Amino acid sequence: MSSQSKTAEQSVASGAANFLRNYYIYFVLVAIVALLSLANLDQFALFERGNFLNKRNIINILRVSAPILVVAGAFTLLMVSGYIDLSIGSTMGLTAVIYAMLAINGMPFVPAFLLTMLAGAVLGAINGILVVRLNITPVIATLITLSLFKGIALLLVQDGVSAIKSGGGLKMPAWFNDYGRDGVFLKLPAAFWVAVAVTLVLIVVQNRGKLGKYAAATGGNPTAAKLSGINTGRTVFLLYVIVGVTAALAGIARSSFMSLGDPLSGDGMELTAILVVLLGGTAFSGGEGRVLRSFVGALIIMALTVGMLTIVPAYYQTLVIGAALLTAAATNHLVSQKGKVS
Amino acid sequence: MTEEQKTSVLSVDGLTKDYPGVRAVDNVTFSIQNSVVHCLVGENGAGKSTLVKMLTGALAPTAGAMTVNGKAYVPTSPQEAREGGIATLFQELHVVDELTVLENLTLGMEKSRFGFFVKSDLEDRVTQTLATIEPAIDPAARVSTLSVAQKQIVEIARAASSGANIIIMDEPTAALSEREVERLFTVIRRLRENNVTVIYISHKLDEIFELGDTVTVMRDGKHITTCPLSDVDGRAELIEMMIGRTVFQSYSPRGKIGEKVVLKAEGLNTKLLKNVSFDIKEGEIIGFYGLVGAGKTEVARALFGADSFDGKVTFHGKPGGRTPKEAIAKGIALVPEERRTQGLFTSLTIRENVPVMNLPRVTQNGVFKAEDVRTAAQEFVTQLGIATSSIEKHTEKLSGGNQQKVVLAKCLFSQADLLLLDEPTRGVDVGAKTEIYEIIKDLANEGNAVAVFSSELEEVLGICDRVFLMFDGCLQEEIENGPNVDIAHILNVVTGGQDEDAR
Amino acid sequence: MSSVTDTLPSGPTRSKMSDEGFISSLVAAVAISLFLIASLLVPNFFQWQNVVNLVTNNWAVIALGVGVSFLLVSGNFDLSVGGIVALSGVLSVWFAQSTEGANALSTGLGLPYGLAIACALLGSLAIGALNALFVVRFGIPSIIVTLGTMMVARGIAQVITHGSQRNTNLPDAFGYLGNLSLFGTSIKFPVVLMGLLLVVAIFVERKMVFGRITYWIGANPEAASLSGIDRARHITKLYLFSAGIAGVVGILLASEYKSGFSNRGLLMEFDALVIALLGGVAIAGGFGSVIGMFFGAIILAVVTSAATGLVLSPDWQFILKAVAVFLAIVTQTWALARRNK
Repeated sequence: MSSQSKTAEQSVASGAANFLRNYYIYFVLVAIVALLSLANLDQFALFERGNFLNKRNIINILRVSAPILVVAGAFTLLMVSGYIDLSIGSTMGLTAVIYAMLAINGMPFVPAFLLTMLAGAVLGAINGILVVRLNITPVIATLITLSLFKGIALLLVQDGVSAIKSGGGLKMPAWFNDYGRDGVFLKLPAAFWVAVAVTLVLIVVQNRGKLGKYAAATGGNPTAAKLSGINTGRTVFLLYVIVGVTAALAGIARSSFMSLGDPLSGDGMELTAILVVLLGGTAFSGGEGRVLRSFVGALIIMALTVGMLTIVPAYYQTLVIGAALLTAAATNHLVSQKGKVS
Repeated sequence: MTEEQKTSVLSVDGLTKDYPGVRAVDNVTFSIQNSVVHCLVGENGAGKSTLVKMLTGALAPTAGAMTVNGKAYVPTSPQEAREGGIATLFQELHVVDELTVLENLTLGMEKSRFGFFVKSDLEDRVTQTLATIEPAIDPAARVSTLSVAQKQIVEIARAASSGANIIIMDEPTAALSEREVERLFTVIRRLRENNVTVIYISHKLDEIFELGDTVTVMRDGKHITTCPLSDVDGRAELIEMMIGRTVFQSYSPRGKIGEKVVLKAEGLNTKLLKNVSFDIKEGEIIGFYGLVGAGKTEVARALFGADSFDGKVTFHGKPGGRTPKEAIAKGIALVPEERRTQGLFTSLTIRENVPVMNLPRVTQNGVFKAEDVRTAAQEFVTQLGIATSSIEKHTEKLSGGNQQKVVLAKCLFSQADLLLLDEPTRGVDVGAKTEIYEIIKDLANEGNAVAVFSSELEEVLGICDRVFLMFDGCLQEEIENGPNVDIAHILNVVTGGQDEDAR
Repeated sequence: MSSVTDTLPSGPTRSKMSDEGFISSLVAAVAISLFLIASLLVPNFFQWQNVVNLVTNNWAVIALGVGVSFLLVSGNFDLSVGGIVALSGVLSVWFAQSTEGANALSTGLGLPYGLAIACALLGSLAIGALNALFVVRFGIPSIIVTLGTMMVARGIAQVITHGSQRNTNLPDAFGYLGNLSLFGTSIKFPVVLMGLLLVVAIFVERKMVFGRITYWIGANPEAASLSGIDRARHITKLYLFSAGIAGVVGILLASEYKSGFSNRGLLMEFDALVIALLGGVAIAGGFGSVIGMFFGAIILAVVTSAATGLVLSPDWQFILKAVAVFLAIVTQTWALARRNK
């Protein structure tokens, strides 16, 4: 980033605009946390008495944030390449069911975990094939798989039962909960640390990896990318697979947290992911966007939604997320307009 | 640069390219030496771009062979061409705005292990190359912060560091300011010092004399000469070689031009245009002639309200339209430059294309009078001689000439009394060309005003009564068409020559 | 001029069927064959009443499909219609509920029914206007905008109903429109309205300037502008049109069930998109027809009702929809390419 200031023929004003563009998201996070900290939480049962910044509250929020935190980075890279995946919610639901089924039928943690990740990779590959090989528009292709994966997930769960859970002779193993709930470090569960690790890896991929650079090239100027000998189709395919894997990780985290395999547990995840990525400043036109900023965007959304529950009833959530999505899209548009002028 | 180094790096032998009915490149043979700036000149349609496409692997030759750096050279893609030693700078920029200069320079050439970049001398090498040709560009800067000229230099540096020792540049100065052109020339000279051969294509003859070492002239697909520029006796001789005796003039004064001024433009200014003023009279065909990027299209779009501009347009004594919708309502119609992307609804039929610019004419209370639409379409098919089995044919299945006639039909249907025709015969076969010229003349004879914007001299001199010569966004000169038109002078003006050199 | 028409092959009789006509016939043929196949497999499927049910049970989605199809033809998505259905229904209930209820959910604004539905419709149009503002003025991709407005519309409905529904303290007139049977048959007013909408839409699409402009914009936006079409204005109209339809659907559904339910119309935007795609409307724009969309709806209805008849779990519908859309897109692309070779 220091390089940015070196190019410096720009005026102070546009320099400030640039600074704002790169770092505003951290201020937003701070502002929201500060705002919520001012609210008097004593009257709300959901929270420990006292401050929003109470340790228990923070741990709570980070625990439930694990699914969105783990997908945000990969989703960012996909959008940077100019593509979109509307099926991640269904992928998450289906993998949550698969994971729970494997566990309840006695498979140990590690193989169940790895198999579910593999399932996520396969689901991502299906998206990749539809988009890259069969040339179906990304929105339509992933709407098809949204429906398909959701249908499969629902069918895997027996009629009359809403989710894979203990009962009818089968019992969830005792370890099932640990991944999403048990504090392993700083009282935070493994699911959270996996999300952090995935994000770190993807930050390195974006900064030092072929995939990150090629994603930006594919989204920024596909013709130039192809002329430079980049296999853009393979780049996009790989990104879909990675998004599938992270969606599977999200599914595992969610099902472990809730102790059940709910086929609908990922519903609306695609919207949250788009929101988070837009909030992080990723352009819809591709080319632009940072993994780390989307991670922060995810923290903002989770602080906002969870924090909001302390002030207003739960049924305000859809409205707030929708409004946030539109606001993020509009600001994103305005900021990128400004960037073009300078 | 000693004499020994001056060996042939590229030679083409008997290169020929046939299209159905046309031989675009006809048995061309020449060779280019190492470390020179070699210019390729010729009029539009001389076969330059076809030749370049064969060199870059975009087209396969019908016959003939190419040799690069002593090896047989048969590229099928730009990458293969680059590996063979030839990199190309296309007219549109191929850099990724969102990446840094350095990232662009190494794009596609990175050394990596398990998908992650590893240290190699690549970065140093490309930084070095960039520093040699243009030290002012910071490798760490984001490309989106650079000017067009700087982006172009980044592309040149990428070409140079990709290992290619021949770089083709197709009209690289079209979008550059004078100062930027100077900078580009410095870059090109540095490239030459570093053993790179540059094949430089430009219409601007001054640039060629300033920069070039050797030149190849093409005309009508044929190779005219390849020689050192020092052997060419100034612009006049080069122009002579480019045009030969081929410009054929069929202009005959129509004598029906009215006195009434239909449109008056005063001081049009846009990003490109500088103080453009002119008028068009009733029944007159005027031409705007200039090279690619001279500003012809910008004039047409300003008159049509498609782009915003400063200045004043008066049409029939009232202000002109500020949007295409207004312009059409006032009686101006435009045949745009790009037929397929701007003019035609290719996925729709002829019948569906024709009425779009004048809907009230075939509708009542918002409902189409189907019979009227069909009649109108059929009338135009007959009147303009559109070769089609039916008006229900999809326009994407028509030939270029017939597509252009459909676009023309759209405009004629609007009953405009000023028609702006931007490159009306581009990509149109000879037969259809003549037909379109006849249509244009008929229109003028009926009292309509017509403005033709063209980069083909033959076209402009064939039909226009008055011709405005454009260069670099300015109207340089106005010429009354007639038997005494000095073609050499015209070419001199539109290629940036001063009036003094005219004789 | 008459000599001109004489020399050329004229009139629709001799001209080849248009691509849209071809695809619509293809879709219709598939719908009918699927119905026949289902009749063989499913007991009691082959009945006149069943055919009627296929249409009447799906009036809401078919009606939404009209607006969605027009927008798709112009090259834009509208995923907000399901949310608008919920919003307008809830609004109509809230506005019409009398002012003295026992609790918050049974207390409304006490407007006369006519005024209540007019205001509910205005609320729907506001969402449409929001779509247009973001898509046309800001140039944000329609898919993202309408996903956002879908949530906003449903979110407002959830806030008004506290996440559930309002169904008490309503005037008697409230349940009239949605349950009104016409012509002494079992066919209800909303179905008739949908039929009318279809006829009008087909007329607009085929014969009217408004319809043609939609195709021109979808086929080539730049050429449309250069031909004097005001693109921004037309797309704004299309979003208002689509939101208006969704608003009416929501009001009628609320009337039919005498309740404003915040989850009503859930996934309807998805089904409307599915039937349009099944019916051959191309997302690239400039291609498709309302008739095709209608038969697309029949295909979906036959498939899902046959699945129910075969005692498949209702969860199968998601897979069936996915497979149907996939096959439709692949075969239509293939059939058109073959035909135009």
